[in-house]
Amino acid sequence: MTLLMLLFWLLVGGTLQAAVPAWRHMGQPAFPILLGVVLYAALNKKARYFVAAAILAGLVEDALSLAPLGYSSCAHLAAGALAVLLRKDFFADRAFTTSWVGALCAAAATGTLALLLRSKGLVALSGREMLWRMAGSAVLAAALIPLLFGLMRGLERRLGTWEDRA
Amino acid sequence: MLAMLNLPDAASRRVKGAVRDGISPLQAGLRGGVRETRDVVRYVRGLGDLALENRALSEEIVYLRGETRMAQELARDNQMLRDLLGFAQRFPNKLISCEVIGRDSTGWWQTVRLDKGAAAGVVEGRAVLTTDGLIGRTMAVSARTADVLLLSDPSCKVSVRLKRSGEFGLAEGQGAQPGQAPAVRVDYLLKTADVQPGDEVVTSGLGGLFPKGLPVGRVAEVALDASGLYQTARIELAADLGKLEYAFVAATEKDLAAVRAAPVPADVVLDDETDYLEGEEP
Repeated sequence: MTLLMLLFWLLVGGTLQAAVPAWRHMGQPAFPILLGVVLYAALNKKARYFVAAAILAGLVEDALSLAPLGYSSCAHLAAGALAVLLRKDFFADRAFTTSWVGALCAAAATGTLALLLRSKGLVALSGREMLWRMAGSAVLAAALIPLLFGLMRGLERRLGTWEDRA
Repeated sequence: MLAMLNLPDAASRRVKGAVRDGISPLQAGLRGGVRETRDVVRYVRGLGDLALENRALSEEIVYLRGETRMAQELARDNQMLRDLLGFAQRFPNKLISCEVIGRDSTGWWQTVRLDKGAAAGVVEGRAVLTTDGLIGRTMAVSARTADVLLLSDPSCKVSVRLKRSGEFGLAEGQGAQPGQAPAVRVDYLLKTADVQPGDEVVTSGLGGLFPKGLPVGRVAEVALDASGLYQTARIELAADLGKLEYAFVAATEKDLAAVRAAPVPADVVLDDETDYLEGEEP
C-alpha cells in the first residue's frame, strides 16, 4: 500500500466515521472504520505505514470528537501493536481470524482510550460500563473488520499495489 | 506523537478545526446523497405499492400522485421554515440558524454537529435551541462547523428554575439508553419545594451562559435524593434530541460584531441590502 492509498483510505474512513453515528447498544461504541485501516496496515504492511496510519487516523478521530489531540492515536498505536504481536500466528487473509483479531484489538483500543479519557476526567465511566463498551467495540469490529479488509485488499489487487505481507 | 499530545490549546484547536473543516463538506455531501437515495427508495416503494393495490392504474395517475406527494412535502417544509422564521423574529437574542449535519460518531459524548462555525459568528459556550426549547451549548467551534454538547450528556449542566414555583435546581444529562428518550435530571431542589409532575422547567439565567427563561422540559417524576436532603426530578425534554434537523445558536451582539469586523471568507454570503450574514436576523 502506497502512502497515497493510505491517505485515501484515511479520508474515506474519516468521512464515514464522521457520518455514521455511534452504535446505540452495548455502551455506544463507535464503528471501528478508521481502526480498521490502522489494523490493515499493522497486519499487512511495514511498520512505518502502521505508525503513520495510527497517528493520522487518531488525529482525524480526535478532530471529529471532543477528545484532546493525540489520545486516539495512542489507542490506535496500542491496538496496532497488539495486532503486530499477533500477526505471525494467524492467517491474515481469512475472514474468521481477521474477525477475532479485529475484535481483540478494538477492545484494546477502546479500553486504552477509556482509561486516558477517564484519567483526565473527560468522561464519567464506571469500570463495568467500560468493559461493556469494550465488548460492544469487539462485536462491531468482529463484524466490520473482515468486510473492510476485503474491500481494501480488493482495491489493492485491482490497482496492483497488493504485496503479500510486507 | 509527544508533540501532538503536548500541543498548546490554541494550536490544538486550530489543527482540529482544520481537519474538521476539511471533512465537513464530504460529510455534508454524503448526508445529502443518503437523503436523496432515501427519497428515491421511498418513491419507488410507493410505485410498487400502487401497482400491487391496483394494476389498472395508469402511469398518469401514478405521476400525479407522485406530484401530490411532492407538493405535500414542500408544504410541510414551507410550514416548518415559516415556524423557524417566526421563532427567530420573536426571540430577543440574535439567532444564527444552522443545519444539523452530523451526530457524535465516537459515542463518548452526546453531541451534534452544526453546519456553521466561527465564520458565521458562532462562539464556544453559547446556548443552542430549537423552536421547542433548549438543546445544549456550543463546544468545539471551527471556522465552518460547531459541535453542540446536548443536554443529555452527563457533562452538560444547566441552572434551571421551575416556572410555577420559582424553585432553582441543576439539570444534568444522564446519557441516552437505546429505545428510550434522552434522560435529564434536575438535582438540588429543596426538600420543602413544591414540585409536581408536569411543572415546566426553564433556564434560570444564573451563570450567564444561557439566556433566562428558555424552555427546557417538564417534570416527569419527583423523588428524594440519596442523602434525603434534596428532591430530584426526572424531566422530559421539550425538544426531541433524536430528531434534530435545524437549530439556532443564541449569539450576542459582540459575537456578531467580531465577525463583521473580521475579513469575510470567500464562502460566507452577505446579504446585499442589509450587510447581515446569511442566516442572521437583522
